[in-house]
Amino acid sequence: MGGLIEITLGIMTAVGGFVDVSEMVFAAQAGSRFIFSLIWVFAIATIAIAVFGEMSGRVAAITKQPVFNLMRQRLDLGPGIIALIASVVTSLITCSAEIGGTATVLKYLTGWPYPVLAALTTLALVAIIWLLPFKWIERLFGLLGLLMIIFAVSTVKIHPDWGGVARGFIPQAPVTLPLKDLVTWGYFVVAIISAVLFPYETYFYSSGGVEEQWKPKDLKINRIVAIVGFALGSLLAMSILVNAAVLFRPLHIDPSIIGTSALQAAIPFGKTGLMMALLGMVFAFSGAAVETGLSSAYSLAQFLGWEWGRFKKPHEAPRFTIAWLATFALALVIVLTGIQPLDLVEWAVVLSIVVLPASYLPLILIANDRKYMNQYVNGPISNTLGWAAYAMICIAAVAALPLYFITRGGKL
Amino acid sequence: MKPDGSLKLLAEVRDLQIVDKDGKNCGICDDIELEGGPGKPLRIKALLVGPGAYEGRIPKWLFGLVKAVSGSRLTRVPWSAVDKISARIFLNVPGEAVGLRRVEDRWVRKLEKVPTS
Repeated sequence: MGGLIEITLGIMTAVGGFVDVSEMVFAAQAGSRFIFSLIWVFAIATIAIAVFGEMSGRVAAITKQPVFNLMRQRLDLGPGIIALIASVVTSLITCSAEIGGTATVLKYLTGWPYPVLAALTTLALVAIIWLLPFKWIERLFGLLGLLMIIFAVSTVKIHPDWGGVARGFIPQAPVTLPLKDLVTWGYFVVAIISAVLFPYETYFYSSGGVEEQWKPKDLKINRIVAIVGFALGSLLAMSILVNAAVLFRPLHIDPSIIGTSALQAAIPFGKTGLMMALLGMVFAFSGAAVETGLSSAYSLAQFLGWEWGRFKKPHEAPRFTIAWLATFALALVIVLTGIQPLDLVEWAVVLSIVVLPASYLPLILIANDRKYMNQYVNGPISNTLGWAAYAMICIAAVAALPLYFITRGGKL
Repeated sequence: MKPDGSLKLLAEVRDLQIVDKDGKNCGICDDIELEGGPGKPLRIKALLVGPGAYEGRIPKWLFGLVKAVSGSRLTRVPWSAVDKISARIFLNVPGEAVGLRRVEDRWVRKLEKVPTS
């Protein structure tokens, strides 16, 4: 495992997977509606994804098994099939949200009709996955997605109240708000946890680990990539939240429309900032579309024992190939039905959090099982953080649907 | 080597990935077929692979759903074809020789005609 590849994988997971369309929408809305009072949720959810990411990489390196094989062994066949269906549906809806988000941003850039751009985006992604070796796909989306750094640069430029930002890291609830707003705030807590902890990220990460044949000596790098990569992604998401609080809230700008966040870079940096932000969003969203589309195929192939792998040529893992082709085709159909990308984002987030407990339980059980992991079993820190994070996602999963319906998807 | 001690079949064999002699994935061991009878030793006859083996392991409504989506194909892999068992089941023959990888191979032939990098 070469150093550069690992770092690129880390960057792609951080930027392409971390700041995807749902994270951007929820971070911007969180800032404009609740100022800095949700920063701590991003921070805690980031610790959780770093813990689970590290765990999935470690399990991949030691057992040589991706998450979905383990899920079936640990949950048994029946619950495993239910988890498989839920995860494939979640990945599919997330993929369509990312394609819809990419097409929306491309519409701002080109003025072309949204359905045409959605179809072109899907075709381009399929062609890229089919034709390019996976290392090039990683470089393409990982490096161009770095344009998103403009959001963090904008944060520095607009001089937010850094003391207020720092206080946002302290867990809190705006209890002085009217009940209606407080419930909506609760919905945002759940949505942010879900958006940060999307299960496809660990499927993608651990599958990469199995394919790249990580060994125990790679564990240190795995830990660094998980912690630094996810922290970097989280800082970007937080900067979008802070920018929205400083720039959008006083002007009563509602950033629920995908693409509004690009104004965060346009205000301090003009046209150049706007272009960088929009292009960064195109690559971040389409990078996430690639990950979700492939994740769906990973889940199916690993659960059913097919040949799979992004480093294999399409015909070398034929059913895996057909699975990701079908995912992109169905995702495009969903986008073309005219469902708003924002609604897709909401559904993806709510469905995902309901699936999360089933996704992460087998992982944490295996990482704790000395029979599988030998001396690489969870230590006290991983274990405490892992179970605390698991308790958090279980609470969020139970609260997700009631909060979604009570707040009508945060639109209350 | 095959494990020669007592083998906790359900936990240690069922749901494991099957890998053939050429290192290719050939499906999952979905269930196990045993043979024997009163007064006779109980032996593993075959590994059962394919959605047809799900019957009896999952609720009827779920099996109905699986059957509607993927059919009820079932392949019996004789126990003699098993080379060793660790976190995966390794066969001592190519998957094709015991009826596995049929769908996969059919698609390989179709997809290899499409150009790639």
